[in-house]
Amino acid sequence: MIELRTGLVGSGAGSAGGETDLLIAGGGPAALAAALYASRYGISHVVAESWQPGGQAALTARIENYPGIESITGGDLAAALRRHAAAWGASFEASSVVSAKPSGNRIEVVTDAASWSARTLIVATGAAPSRLGVPGEEEFYGRGVSYCATCDAPFFRGKTVMVVGGGDSAVKEALHLAGFADRLYVVHRRDRLRAEPLLVEKLLGCDRCSVYWSSTLLEIRGSDGVESVLLRTPGGEAEVPVDGVFMYVGRTPATAPFRDLIDLNPDGTVRTHDVVHTSRENVFAAGDVTDNELRQVVTAVSDGARAAAAAFELLQRDEGGKG
Amino acid sequence: MALLSDSDSHEVKKLFDGLTRDVRVVVYTQKLQCPSCSDTETILRELGALSERLKVSFVNPLTDEALAEADGIDRVPAILVSDGTHSRVRFFGTPSGYEFSSLLTCIMDAGGDSQVLSAPTIEFLDALGTDLDIDVFVTPTCPHCPSAAVLASRMAAASDRVVASVIEANEFPELSRKHAVQGVPRTVVNERFFAEGSMPEAMFVSALSRAMREAPAEGRVDLSDYL
Repeated sequence: MIELRTGLVGSGAGSAGGETDLLIAGGGPAALAAALYASRYGISHVVAESWQPGGQAALTARIENYPGIESITGGDLAAALRRHAAAWGASFEASSVVSAKPSGNRIEVVTDAASWSARTLIVATGAAPSRLGVPGEEEFYGRGVSYCATCDAPFFRGKTVMVVGGGDSAVKEALHLAGFADRLYVVHRRDRLRAEPLLVEKLLGCDRCSVYWSSTLLEIRGSDGVESVLLRTPGGEAEVPVDGVFMYVGRTPATAPFRDLIDLNPDGTVRTHDVVHTSRENVFAAGDVTDNELRQVVTAVSDGARAAAAAFELLQRDEGGKG
Repeated sequence: MALLSDSDSHEVKKLFDGLTRDVRVVVYTQKLQCPSCSDTETILRELGALSERLKVSFVNPLTDEALAEADGIDRVPAILVSDGTHSRVRFFGTPSGYEFSSLLTCIMDAGGDSQVLSAPTIEFLDALGTDLDIDVFVTPTCPHCPSAAVLASRMAAASDRVVASVIEANEFPELSRKHAVQGVPRTVVNERFFAEGSMPEAMFVSALSRAMREAPAEGRVDLSDYL
């Protein structure tokens, strides 16, 4: 059976904005879990789910550590989470938050589709792949440099590719790429990989794969497309011919619109206490945007549920105050 | 064998119940030298059976050359989606994976009443003094691709001056090579202006508009230089 994805691409053009009890910023697992819980709590809400819903989970070739599901593509899991939230009445807008500022006991949130006045806000905007900043990285983006193995792996069938990084994402996506490439290198700045031991074992057992330990990428070279990379290795500089370079060197949290609203850490993550609470009483944070240490789909959905529950509690306090 | 699972059919039927107008879908397929035509035909037949609003017809470009030429179909499989007034949205390749989602969105846009583009985009399209051919290269496994594909198709549906082609890059390697596609989505406008990755609507329209005014008259233009 051919795999078909049935989710529609949304539009923010029809959104009128207005008042809402809760605005959920983000479209990944944390936001979707928050949307599900908010819907079941009966909270009036809107999810500004961004232009590319599903978050980083949708870009993951395969997820094998989400409890209850032995193995699933990231796209399928993200789609299932969204369907579940929509089935309980979650309300989505295809937009991204541009700015957010306090106004009395509410937050004025401007998205690229509408303006909202929200009593509570959940920041679940996730993170984007970080750039390494080496020469050639920008120049060859889309011409051999990629941040999405799930998207671009077929272009490197029978070719030589290099993955930069040593965490879970780097090793997972290297294993996905190994299904296409003839030769695969991983370059990692340390002498051991940080990824889950099971994944590391798989990578080290792959006969077409090898690792440049304690090495760093200095430059990506080529003309029309990528032709080679320059590495600094323990044995000195080395130029390695490759056709593609996939970057997994960390993530940059998407917190720019909230910089003046809540306290952020120097690395840009939202400073949280009690998991989902921020420096402002009516703003909560969930998922990869936070400084919570483990960043997995399972922790993101847990954060989302807690954040919706915390918003519900605050809204109930409002109700109690009125009575 | 059915290609849509029972749950997919159920979900799509529910979506199609929201169609308020007829949508015309013309599917160009042939038996010769087109390994993916059969699956494409099956998928569209099954889709057509899910709603009376969806009017699906099949054309063999080898036997109906004039129609293929009029619709600008030079490769198969190809799918044209229109609301009966426009035929400028084309999908080339099997509509599988995330490309299926783009096709469904395009059908729902054509058969619905909601405003799907923002006012500045409509203004830009209304003021166009030149035709735009927008090619969007995609793969079925790319979650970023539908937003780029759908933006192009919405622009084509909204303006007589725009033709959108969504191209499955793996199925048309010669075309992918011609446009140096090594990552998706890659959007190419008039074979000259290009964007890597998916840009939000406002950003894409603003960069394209600026590049059309300010870029040198010749050579390839990266839209990210005009953000």
